[in-house]
Amino acid sequence: MSNRSKGWGIAAAACVGLWLVHNGSENVTPPVPSAAQAFAAGPSVHTDAAADPLPPSPPVRLRIPETDVDAPMMRLGLAADGALDVPPAGNRNMAGWYGDGTTPGAKGTAIVAGHVDNADGPAVFYTLGALKKGHRIEVDRADGRTAVFTVDAIEVYDNKDFPSRKVYDEAGRAEIRVITCGGGFSKKNGYQGNVVAFGHLIGVR
Amino acid sequence: MRTTARLFTGTALAVAAIGAFAAPAAYADNEWNNQSNQSNQGHESLEIFPSSASPGETVTVNTLACGKHGHGVGDANSLGAGEFPLSPSTHKEVVVGQFRVPEHVKAGSYWISVACDNGKTARGDLTVKHRSPSGHVQTGVGGSIGPDTAQVTAGAAVLAAAAVGGVWLLRRRASGAQGH
Repeated sequence: MSNRSKGWGIAAAACVGLWLVHNGSENVTPPVPSAAQAFAAGPSVHTDAAADPLPPSPPVRLRIPETDVDAPMMRLGLAADGALDVPPAGNRNMAGWYGDGTTPGAKGTAIVAGHVDNADGPAVFYTLGALKKGHRIEVDRADGRTAVFTVDAIEVYDNKDFPSRKVYDEAGRAEIRVITCGGGFSKKNGYQGNVVAFGHLIGVR
Repeated sequence: MRTTARLFTGTALAVAAIGAFAAPAAYADNEWNNQSNQSNQGHESLEIFPSSASPGETVTVNTLACGKHGHGVGDANSLGAGEFPLSPSTHKEVVVGQFRVPEHVKAGSYWISVACDNGKTARGDLTVKHRSPSGHVQTGVGGSIGPDTAQVTAGAAVLAAAAVGGVWLLRRRASGAQGH
């Protein structure tokens, strides 16, 4: 190799290095679902039929294979203002479910929440906004069965305009909601919204 | 705010329940009683307010079964609320009692029965449903937002390597020029 081409190689490497430093310095935010994943964009091309609901049984673990989520689950209650409690911020790999509500796989709407991040970095549902219609959400239950849900939509709601009834109301079949923080972020007010994945039961293992 | 609203709703329901005693015409409605008794099989009907309640809520029941100045014992064991007394209300033909829906009752339908001192029984159906959460969740503080340190580090490493390579190349050129 000539010195000239070596020189070009070194210059190219320097450019790549500069680009990496520059690009990496820009703030990275959690993935934001695209408009195509919203209900408004219509159902996914391949929508699996709803499976018969299971009898209630508490969930123990939640997995989203597409995004490598695999987390234990804890019971959550309601705060004084009626909002759903959240898992302790110190545990970055913990999902929670509304313990007085529907258990995942049973008829109704099971509500699951987890952190998108904590002070130290990304948490269990950091990648929730990257899910797409048709992806799977699997919940292991105390009765040994695994409830398998398909994602019907991923929506983003502003905190000031959160549609509680649409998200929390009991469904006539076995459904699930997975909720985390998202939308815009400001240093002053934190996350300005919630990302909500809607799913329905399609099978049991 | 919401808690206040809920308390107010509860009070309003209780007032509505008491108000119902002042309307004996409702109990005299034979058609209604007959329909109710068909599924009650020998039991008289038991009015339950509210007919659908959440854990922690107080439920008021009343019935005509115990008769004027009657007393009775209510049985809410189906949902773990034990027994409760029924005594004459301000409207003397009706006995009334209350119990509290325990905190950890599962959602579903529960029979509440009343045994009157006069030997009659009454039965009614209480639906327990759980309060839904409301509003958004607080599940992030922004700790994931920031520069991609891994990428910056890699970039810095590539830059450093390029610099070392550049110096080496320049020195080689310089020594090569001397050789000629």
